[in-house]
Amino acid sequence: MNFIVCVKQVPDTTEVEVDRESGTIIREGVPSILNPFDEFALNEAIRVKEKTGGRITVLSMGPPQAQEALRKCLAIGADEAILLTDQAFAGSDTWATSFTLARAVEKLGKYDLIFCGQQATDGDTAQVGPELARQLNIPQMTYVESIEEIDDGSVICKKETDGGYQRVKSGLPALLAFISTPAFEPKIPSIMEVMGAKSKTLSQWGIDDLGDEDGDYGLDGSPTQVIRVYSPPQRGEGVIIEEPPEVAVDKLIEYLESEGII
Amino acid sequence: MDFQLTEEQKLIKESVRDWFARNLPLERVREMDTKGHPYPQDIPKGLGELGVIMGTVPKEHGGQGLDWFTQTLIAEEIGYADPTIACAAAFMAVATGWGYTLDKYCSEEVREMAIKPALKGEKFVGIATTEPGGGSDVAAFKSTAEKDGDEWVLNGEKTFISGVEEAREWGGGYWVNVRTGEPPEDAPHKNMTSFFVPIDAEGLEPDKPYRDAGRNALSTGGFRMENVRIPDSYRLGEEGKGFYRTMEGFDNARLLIGASSVGVTQRILEEGMKYIKERKTFGKPLAKYEGIQFELVELYREMEATRLMTYKTAWMQDKRYQDGSFKPKDVAKWISMIKWKAPHLALEAANKAMHWLGAAGYSDEYMFEMAWRGVMSYCVGAEGGENIQKIVIGRELLGPDYVPYK
Ligand SMILES: Cc1cc2nc3c(=O)[nH]c(=O)nc-3n(C[C@H](O)[C@H](O)[C@H](O)COP(=O)(O)OP(=O)(O)OC[C@H]3O[C@@H](n4cnc5c(N)ncnc54)[C@H](O)[C@@H]3O)c2cc1C
Repeated sequence: MNFIVCVKQVPDTTEVEVDRESGTIIREGVPSILNPFDEFALNEAIRVKEKTGGRITVLSMGPPQAQEALRKCLAIGADEAILLTDQAFAGSDTWATSFTLARAVEKLGKYDLIFCGQQATDGDTAQVGPELARQLNIPQMTYVESIEEIDDGSVICKKETDGGYQRVKSGLPALLAFISTPAFEPKIPSIMEVMGAKSKTLSQWGIDDLGDEDGDYGLDGSPTQVIRVYSPPQRGEGVIIEEPPEVAVDKLIEYLESEGII
Repeated sequence: MDFQLTEEQKLIKESVRDWFARNLPLERVREMDTKGHPYPQDIPKGLGELGVIMGTVPKEHGGQGLDWFTQTLIAEEIGYADPTIACAAAFMAVATGWGYTLDKYCSEEVREMAIKPALKGEKFVGIATTEPGGGSDVAAFKSTAEKDGDEWVLNGEKTFISGVEEAREWGGGYWVNVRTGEPPEDAPHKNMTSFFVPIDAEGLEPDKPYRDAGRNALSTGGFRMENVRIPDSYRLGEEGKGFYRTMEGFDNARLLIGASSVGVTQRILEEGMKYIKERKTFGKPLAKYEGIQFELVELYREMEATRLMTYKTAWMQDKRYQDGSFKPKDVAKWISMIKWKAPHLALEAANKAMHWLGAAGYSDEYMFEMAWRGVMSYCVGAEGGENIQKIVIGRELLGPDYVPYK
């Protein structure tokens, strides 16, 4: 089977700090990592491939240095990687990103499943996966935790809902957007695997490689524009009334009155 | 000159960092230091799977064929992960530094029996050169080997030997230096020969392990040899040339322990910074006071300088092995500089950090005191004492006529 895993290199958000004056993220000196949701999706693809056989291609759009994240994917167990990198792709919003990814998927040809992370930890939009499915006109399942069954024509997933889990079946090809689980331990590539990744194919594709130059590429192809990035004002400490409801209601009214809210 | 790490080197560093964060967090380092030896074997087995033990051993011999520079980066990460330096001592300095050299000079028989399992973390290989009569002073060595047909018969005593308890539990053995003839009066290093001696050889009697000040997860012990018989195929290199092979082993082990000590310093400074930013006295964080901040900054400067020296030395070491453009003596001078500087810097960093923390730093609530006790082993003597490094450097600067022991 042919699997495509879409990944993104993101700043390590556990180390990100916000500039208090400008409200923007301080990126200098922050290490880049593979988006954790994508890492989960890739690990799941590797687990499935161990049973079904086949080939895993990782696909990423990003600046040239995103190659490092792809090399890591190859060390973890992907077979081939493609980096979509071109000045023309710069400034893409989620629509232009999914458009570009869709052109690349079409160029790759036959595939059975596309794996995405539910969202990237930098933008947190959770839009690219669903938009990509729409662009390719294939079914999508989101909030997927695992693949339970898969055969030549269909896949059954376990997906999270507000109240619990659903088992959902879909025909192939399809797109799955993965969440992560707390117990997840990503595969740590060994030295042999890192050295082995050196001889796997990692290609770079620019806009010329995707055929027609017309399309929703980059800033021009992006309907969304970010006007300002800022962090919400810090909230003061809250007040917690820990009393049985009969007492708490009175206390709450008293408090709201004293603050002049009601 | 290119200071950029390759993609592979970055990924390898990341793998080692991630592996240790998962398998040997500081809490476990503390537990192991408190409980003491023998070292839990899941760690070397995991490191074996990761491919970091004896990474420089050629692929044909079961290793990874790594360069020394990359192995140095690995050793640095291991020091960072375990600042008691027990892990780095066992699996970088000893198993890798000496193991690589052992592999270079041993027979296929010894390789199959000891090296291949040791690089998977299944057995322990170590170095046994120090004797009760002399550590630094090679001329005082008394252990002997006599040839008897196709075999050698070994007698003598080795002491302060890392990993004896681990070798007893997991299997394995030692690179053992003995005399195979009286040395000429002016050349005490001659007529020394090295052998591989399995820990379970008949006639080898282990001593009770020492109760060391630090790096407690790894044992230090010794053994007596009484008519230990081993085949000639266990000989390492030529008869009478053991001193030179031993110096090569020291070079490799010292390079890696220097690198690990840089990692220890890095961890101490990171953990120390967290503390001084949070702890307030007189209404301000400690980090604001020059008395504290400037000490941190000085240590940081020294650490970066030592790291650069270590990387340069590793690079020279690669040239030495790859194309011979640096001679062993050129490299040995640099190796001695970092073997002297790096553990002392880690010791100093631990000492200063303990002062920053006050009573907390002296307690086992924080990692500093166990780092302090641990790295002290490489200041007092392990892999050669401070003054011995100075003698090597002096010999290269002033010429061989100025060594103190001639
Ligand atoms: C934790 C630990 C683990 C060890 N593991 C091993 C091991 O696995 N295998 C092994 O073979 N050995 C091991 N050793 C022993 C180590 O190699 C010796 O400690 C070292 O060679 C120094 O020898 P010594 O302790 O006998 O000290 P000595 O040789 O007695 O030296 C004592 C002091 O005098 C200094 N000194 C010596 N000669 C001179 C001189 N000419 N001029 C000025 N100063 C001098 C030394 O630097 C040292 O500070 C270990 C030691 C330690 C502490």
